Amino acid sequence: MSSITYREAVTAAMRHAMESRDNTILFGLGVTDHVGIFGTTSGLEEAFGPERVFETPISEDSMTGFALGASLSGLYPIHVHIRADFMLLAMNQLINSIAKYRYMYGGLFEVPMLVRSIIGRSWGQGAQHSQSLQALLAHAPGLHVVMPASAESARATYRYAVESCRGPVISLEHRLLYDYSFNEELSWDPGDNPLSSFLIRPGNDVTIVATSVMVQEAIRAADFIAQREDIGLEIIDMHCITHPDEELILKSVRKTGRLIVVDTSWASFGVCAEVARIVACREPQALKQPIVCLPVAKASCPTAKKLENWFYPDMSDIISAAYSLCPGREGHGRELPSEEYVSQVHKSFRGPF
Amino acid sequence: MTRYAGLTEDLRGKLLARALRIRMVEERIIELYPSDVIQSPVHLSIGQELHTVALASLLTPPGDRIFTTYRSHAAYLASGGDLKLMFAELYGKQTGVSKGKAGSMHLCHPSTGLMGSSAIVGAVYSHAVGAAYADKIAKNGRVVLCITGEGATEEGTFHECLNFTALKGLPLVYIIENNGLAINIPLAKRQSYRLRDLVKAYGISHFHARDSFDMDEVMTLAAEAFAAARDRHAPAVLEIDTYRYKEHVGICCDHDKKYRDPEELEDWRRRDPLINDQGLLSLHQSAIAEEIDAAVLFADRSPYPSLGDLTEDVY
Repeated sequence: MSSITYREAVTAAMRHAMESRDNTILFGLGVTDHVGIFGTTSGLEEAFGPERVFETPISEDSMTGFALGASLSGLYPIHVHIRADFMLLAMNQLINSIAKYRYMYGGLFEVPMLVRSIIGRSWGQGAQHSQSLQALLAHAPGLHVVMPASAESARATYRYAVESCRGPVISLEHRLLYDYSFNEELSWDPGDNPLSSFLIRPGNDVTIVATSVMVQEAIRAADFIAQREDIGLEIIDMHCITHPDEELILKSVRKTGRLIVVDTSWASFGVCAEVARIVACREPQALKQPIVCLPVAKASCPTAKKLENWFYPDMSDIISAAYSLCPGREGHGRELPSEEYVSQVHKSFRGPF
Repeated sequence: MTRYAGLTEDLRGKLLARALRIRMVEERIIELYPSDVIQSPVHLSIGQELHTVALASLLTPPGDRIFTTYRSHAAYLASGGDLKLMFAELYGKQTGVSKGKAGSMHLCHPSTGLMGSSAIVGAVYSHAVGAAYADKIAKNGRVVLCITGEGATEEGTFHECLNFTALKGLPLVYIIENNGLAINIPLAKRQSYRLRDLVKAYGISHFHARDSFDMDEVMTLAAEAFAAARDRHAPAVLEIDTYRYKEHVGICCDHDKKYRDPEELEDWRRRDPLINDQGLLSLHQSAIAEEIDAAVLFADRSPYPSLGDLTEDVY
């Protein structure tokens, strides 16, 4: 079975977006330089010309409003931020204009566009270069906020955004995922709407709702446990956090009675809070135990490696939480992975930035 | 005094009638407002109508497009916006141009080129930049207008947009209506820069019409700016000195407040053709009043939105 990395999938999706529609424009700081947004936009300016693929000044707010004006004019803008943190400078346009343009004008306008931004930990990115801002973006109605957790998800989501979605899609790509390899087969039916949540792995005992790279941590945790214990983790990739598949989550919790939410950001008002709200409001009786939330620590992200490792949840936290939710099964060693094993993914990343 | 060759007596009469229509619509809003049929803030354009109709007369909608701000009644009507749909919108009715969801501050009329009105000061600059970029790469000879007050130029996005507009050479003309006030604050307390110097630092042409009632001056400068934008993708800023008769928001005068000089208002009113041109008034007033009556009746008799409308058009 051939494999494809996340980076290759995103790169292919960008080329497809440019090839399949003449009206696609792609812009952002660094899209034409020698790094090319980790390679995902490399070569596009040469292939499609400087009117369709271009650098921007360091003007996040205005270039976001620019995307709106271009979209209103029939272009399909793809705006790329190599650091999601800089999107905070564009919140005025994202929330005050883009999220509202269709509704506020009574449906007279559509503003299809894709905004890609890169989030993530590792190599001391620190407080202002690693934030996961999905909750801020998802709070106001009007945007689709996605966190593609696999090559397949990125390809299907971007294809759908470009070809079918009439609204704005904001995507957060985790930089640690870029070199993960995935099965190349695209199991998605192109007719399916990937702006939703996905069942990644069935299991009977604990439901894990995860986002972004935490889906991979959950898979590692499930594999680890499966080799040692008779505890099955059911993993749901929440993916489109503004439009999650609530039925998928509830159906799973109905089966397992136990829920862990693991996210790349803070708990309060975020993904952890939202998933807990969905279950608590709709089917609290399905829960056999209180929900376990595994967010990042309630602090800004520290640069020191030692602190950064504590700041983020990882497979070890998921395993511990799963064990704590499934007590009373005798005869197991309850082994936790070594620190070395847990952190090998994060240690191997040294850029590029 | 400069004369604009294209401004024939016939056209002048038509433009004055269009400006009078805007004036009378807003005066009707003032009459209706205390009855609470319009339950939202209104930012009146009274005093600023003439240059708006003059500018719009140089555009070919819907290909030529306008982006503007919450003080949007004049731009809406000047660009050809439907009067019935406007009153229904102000009344919060389902038949409004945006089903009542936009109201006075967010009028739009895409079929005649008005692409939106933002209540966030300065937010529309970049929308206009994006639209002008699309026109540029389509090489369609169109021009985009972005109409704001001089206060919006204090936002950082104005700098960002001037930079990008000049960098790419876009068919965009920024219309800066300089009424000297941002809400209640005079320009001298807000701006350290001269707009002309700021704009020129980006290599963008700055035109200055010093009297918004002088349609010859406004159209002479606008025609030059629009032609350069269309033909050479040379952007421009056209600053127009104008006067806001009313308070920032609401239907009252604020010349009894310390910050405004009643003499100033009288100077403008003495020169105002929409007050003093008796021939104009007698020729058009009754027909315009009838049209407004019909629009108000339409709004009055239109249904309110339904509960289902509340969450419609959310992505």
